[in-house]
Amino acid sequence: MFASRRLGKELTKMQGQLPPGITLVEADNLENWLLDIQVLDANPIYAGETYRLKFTFSQNYPIEAPEVVFVKDDTHSIPWHPHIYTNGIICLDLLDRSGWSPVHNVESVCVSLQSMLTSNTRKERPEGDENFVRYNTQRPRDINFVFHDNKV
Amino acid sequence: MSSPSPIPPPNDRRNSRASTNGGLPNEADALSEPSELRVRRKSKCLKVPPEMSALEYASRPDSNLVCLICHAPFDRPVQLLCEHYFCRECLEHAWAPQSNNRKTCPTCRRHVEGENDIRPVPKIIETMLDELVVKCPNSRTGCTWVDHRVNVHDHVMLYCEYTPIECPAADCRLHTTQKDFHKGCLHYTVGCEDCHTSLMKRDLEEHQRYLCLNRTTSCALCEAVLLRLDLKTHINNVCPKHVISCQGTIVGCKFRSERADVTQHEMACAMATMAPHFRDQQARLERHEARMEPLARKVGILEDGLANITNMLYPANANDASFPVADHLDPNDAAADFRLPPASFPHGAHGSDNSSNEPPFDSQVHHLLTLHENLREEVSRISTTLTEVEGRTNMMIINESQRNKDEMLHTNAAINNMRMQLHWLMSATIHQRTTSASTSTSRPSASTSAGTTGRSTTQGPSSRPGPSGTLPAPYRRLSDSNRQDTKL
Ligand SMILES: [Zn+2]
Ligand SMILES: [Zn+2]
Ligand SMILES: [Zn+2]
Ligand SMILES: [Zn+2]
Ligand SMILES: [Zn+2]
Ligand SMILES: [Zn+2]
Ligand SMILES: [Zn+2]
Repeated sequence: MFASRRLGKELTKMQGQLPPGITLVEADNLENWLLDIQVLDANPIYAGETYRLKFTFSQNYPIEAPEVVFVKDDTHSIPWHPHIYTNGIICLDLLDRSGWSPVHNVESVCVSLQSMLTSNTRKERPEGDENFVRYNTQRPRDINFVFHDNKV
Repeated sequence: MSSPSPIPPPNDRRNSRASTNGGLPNEADALSEPSELRVRRKSKCLKVPPEMSALEYASRPDSNLVCLICHAPFDRPVQLLCEHYFCRECLEHAWAPQSNNRKTCPTCRRHVEGENDIRPVPKIIETMLDELVVKCPNSRTGCTWVDHRVNVHDHVMLYCEYTPIECPAADCRLHTTQKDFHKGCLHYTVGCEDCHTSLMKRDLEEHQRYLCLNRTTSCALCEAVLLRLDLKTHINNVCPKHVISCQGTIVGCKFRSERADVTQHEMACAMATMAPHFRDQQARLERHEARMEPLARKVGILEDGLANITNMLYPANANDASFPVADHLDPNDAAADFRLPPASFPHGAHGSDNSSNEPPFDSQVHHLLTLHENLREEVSRISTTLTEVEGRTNMMIINESQRNKDEMLHTNAAINNMRMQLHWLMSATIHQRTTSASTSTSRPSASTSAGTTGRSTTQGPSSRPGPSGTLPAPYRRLSDSNRQDTKL
């Protein structure tokens, strides 16, 4: 009840106005939403690309963080970033259990991801990407990432 | 707040009136029922209080009043030490998964020690929240109530006709609304007589009004096709064939015909064009008359007050009928007190208005002006008298205080004297004690203390009695004189 009400409010607001470079693609239910983000400045790694994000909300949103991953399909790729794995899983403290706060919301998460990409200069994957992608069976929120690198 | 109180809150009087009207037949129905049914009804009258977080606001609320957790205007907000505000419930939600000592502010992550770090918000915030305008939670089922949020609970629990309550029928588990409560159970299937759809009785009216396609009729006068429910309003306000009078009828136009003709006529009729202005004027006149009544009453009260004041000022002359001014203002005794009593102030006799042979004033204004002049003179006289009296009083006070000062000096001298004497007595007592202990050396020390007393006796006449004669006495009063000493 709490989650649906809050998501309803967020949805109404997002249907009205969103920051530049963020578009609401699909929000048919209160469990999964799709949003597109673009990097607006002239970062050569992401120029001209649109990336698709999939939000999955639990019953306890916003007390619990939403699960946010990049989606790969025919028209969308996974952005290069030393904290984004090839399977779309994002290593960002904001989305972690200890880093999340209920004052965050879908929009602020998108903005954070946008700025995370904007400031990146390395076209690479995280260390151990291949192994992680092959063997990981956990859901993103259950993974204990080590936030070793704070400057990206 | 959790149970509906029978007394309507004062700030929602408008609604309370509406509800007593609507509720009366309801009440009467319940009373005519057998008692067991009535009891059953009562127990089922439970309503669900409105949920604050689900309220719909008339306008978008100020973002400063919106909780960052639930994204709705605060409900029973609290503030943390960092001055971040949240709904109490939202905070509890947010902290539920955390253990007690790990509570932090959701916004800035400042540590929250315990209940002491959670404080009430300023009153002004509460007031602003209370005054947010919300729609009735039952607006979807037809309620048009819109008012301050602080009233929504009472509206839903007491007054709203659309609040769902359980059906009065014993064997029915469905919900009905306050509005339909007295109609009994409406949860049986009926068929719409126009379109032959079957539906619940409860929904029939809505169906007939908005949904039923066959529920139309034609106006008997103009043959227009319209909803049967709207027929009356059509005839009264719209129908071109309905016979009505020209708008100018209030000014005197006698024209009366079908609406279409009347509309034609009214374009040309001077009286019809005048009618709205006339009506405006009339309304304004009525308003003014209504406003005048309290004013007249107020003037009456003020006049009474003035009369009282005059009576108080000149009590002896209040009933003096010799004053020649015939009062134009008011024939009753309140106005009679405008008379200025000539005897009360000796210097005021010079004015022509005070002579008893003078004819009545030719105008009220003149009378008032003279009165005013007289009053002014009287006031200036009073003020000079006051200054005089003040001067005299000041002199008196100065004299009195001088005398007091002198007296105080005398008293001080006397006290000093007494102190000296006491001192002498004390030393004499001590000396006495030493002499009684060792009998031989008593006399010489007594003479030394007598020498000091000799000095003190010159200061006051009260120390005249010889100390040597009273020497044996202080034995018993030793503690007494000790006490005296500490007092001084
Ligand atoms: Zn809240
Ligand atoms: Zn804070
Ligand atoms: Zn209502
Ligand atoms: Zn029923
Ligand atoms: Zn019908
Ligand atoms: Zn008609
Ligand atoms: Zn006319």
